[in-house]
Amino acid sequence: MNKKLSKILMVLLALTLVVAFVPACAEEEPVEEEETTTEETTEEVTVKAAMITDTAGLGDKSFNDLTWKGFEQAESELGVEVKVLESATINDYEPNLQELALAGYSPLVATGFLLTDTVSKICVEYPDTMFINIDGFFDPVPENVVGVGFKENEGSYLAGVVAGLATKDTFDSRLNDKNVIGFVGGMDVPLIRKFQAGFEAGAKSVNPDVQVVALYTGSWDDVAKGKELGLSLIDQGADVIYAAAGGCGEGTVRACQEKGALFIGVDADQYNTIANSGDVMLTSMMKNIDVVVFDLIQAMVDGDFPAGTMQVFGLKEGGVGLAPFHDFESKVPQSIKDAVDKASDDIISGAVTVPEAL
Amino acid sequence: MLSDIITPDLFAAALRMATPLALAAIGGTICERSGVVNIALEGIMLIGAFFGTATVLATGSPWLGVLVAVLAGVAISAVHAVASVNLRTDQVVSGTAINLLALGLTGFLMELWYGHPGTTQPIPTLQPVFGFGAMGDGFLGEVWRWINGVFLSHTPLVYAAIFIAIGTHWAMYHTKWGLRLRALGEHPRAVDTAGVSVARGRWVAVLMSGALGGLAGANLSIEQVGVFQEGFTNGRGFIALAANIFGRWTPIGSYLASLLFGFADALQIKLQPFRDVIDLPPEFFLMVPYVVTVVVLAGVIGRAVGPAQVGVPYEKG
Repeated sequence: MNKKLSKILMVLLALTLVVAFVPACAEEEPVEEEETTTEETTEEVTVKAAMITDTAGLGDKSFNDLTWKGFEQAESELGVEVKVLESATINDYEPNLQELALAGYSPLVATGFLLTDTVSKICVEYPDTMFINIDGFFDPVPENVVGVGFKENEGSYLAGVVAGLATKDTFDSRLNDKNVIGFVGGMDVPLIRKFQAGFEAGAKSVNPDVQVVALYTGSWDDVAKGKELGLSLIDQGADVIYAAAGGCGEGTVRACQEKGALFIGVDADQYNTIANSGDVMLTSMMKNIDVVVFDLIQAMVDGDFPAGTMQVFGLKEGGVGLAPFHDFESKVPQSIKDAVDKASDDIISGAVTVPEAL
Repeated sequence: MLSDIITPDLFAAALRMATPLALAAIGGTICERSGVVNIALEGIMLIGAFFGTATVLATGSPWLGVLVAVLAGVAISAVHAVASVNLRTDQVVSGTAINLLALGLTGFLMELWYGHPGTTQPIPTLQPVFGFGAMGDGFLGEVWRWINGVFLSHTPLVYAAIFIAIGTHWAMYHTKWGLRLRALGEHPRAVDTAGVSVARGRWVAVLMSGALGGLAGANLSIEQVGVFQEGFTNGRGFIALAANIFGRWTPIGSYLASLLFGFADALQIKLQPFRDVIDLPPEFFLMVPYVVTVVVLAGVIGRAVGPAQVGVPYEKG
């Protein structure tokens, strides 16, 4: 009796493990089907591009989703075979990269600076595979790697100009007279400090007395913590909050809706990606990762992949920029829009240099 | 500076952040008192949060969502009960399996039902119980601002957690059920000899912990953030286990321990803006909650001794 039962339990546990890993495998099937169909129809060797997410994974409505958007575009427009592996923890980076390299995928796009060390290590083991690391910085750049950098400080500067002017303005009833704006960061790392530095510099350039309160969640996916930080900022008088904290930002949006403050999104145009956020979403600082990823995959298809280089995209290159004001389009005064245009022109012409660190 | 840190919001945030920990920790307390280790709390919270959110998405009723979250917690903990009570497997293995299952199953069902990973659509949340405004100026107005901010600004489950802590504590020390529960963990043979079923007692305890874990998940999703996000419990189930030990396996102790964790977290949020004034590396502030835990565990409470037979399957002999 007991032996029988423990056997049943073992089967159950095995099934549990199988189900637990289903999401990772779910992506595989369509790819395999495609593989067979392409073999049947054409003999041409297609590019097989794959993506490895950081721990926030797909569905973060910003960074990872944007990269994947570039992949989807490449799949439909270039006929490239695509695949994605999500990393549940940082321990998954290495096996995920190895698995895709062994399966013959190239280029491999690793999203996030947290993957930089892993890419540096794996790229030596697979010299024939091309690697792209979004937000990765390499010096020197290995010859089969492209490091993609963005001047987030430039885009954040524009967000700062909007926030610094909005907090003094009265175009919305939720704006108070305390002259305080807030910043929510994810992990306290140089990359996010770059967002904060640009934001502060932009706000102070138009409103020297503004107080910028910056808080860090220490995580990319703790939505409850993101909300708590938002509530804390609002309690301290902040009426415009800019969040560069991955999935935590959604919590900050909810705090803004509950307690009455405006929000500036990050990476994607979060008006479209965070549902029902239009009433607080002033604008977003966009990192056009999807465009860059698509361009690099196209370069791979065309055979002019810029291997062994760092590619940096700023305001000038169209790598960063502000999203439309959407629901606030008619409320935001022309003076703020003009100030944003002027700041943008000054950065592009080089008249203004945006600091990278605080 | 001190007046910027010590605000009503600091204590209100502590209560809010303590609630999911406390609910799960009390569940852990009941379960471990009966002699069953429950490291599955993290997974139970996640399952509860997911099915609760799915229910609200389908029906629009937050309270129905809370109910379903509790039922889902009970259902998944039944798996743990079968494995650890009837089949006498290693309870840590069974708990780990549930944690993995919860992470995979919720992610899988999100794809299946909503067609995308990550975060669900927002849902209507449970609103604060009271909605008192400011009252006057001067000293009395200030006193009212504190009372209103700290104690009267909360959502239903925050208060429920306090009542559950007091209620289960009382029941554990003043009812027949409580006496038997404690005996189950210390000396199940004695309970068996007295003619009371060990298996049944442990089943009830595991299911109760599932209900509380589900409620903790409902607090996170239906009360706090109004969405379900994959893996958004972020280790709270494990911190709850620590709170249970730190509260010396008593419900009120678990609640107070959770409150301390919540307070430490709220305090670090309030301290962060003073990074430039207090000349310390930024990591220090994020470290505060964990340092408090270590200091308290090592220095203040002394040796914590759990139920003698916790984790040991009972074999009727």
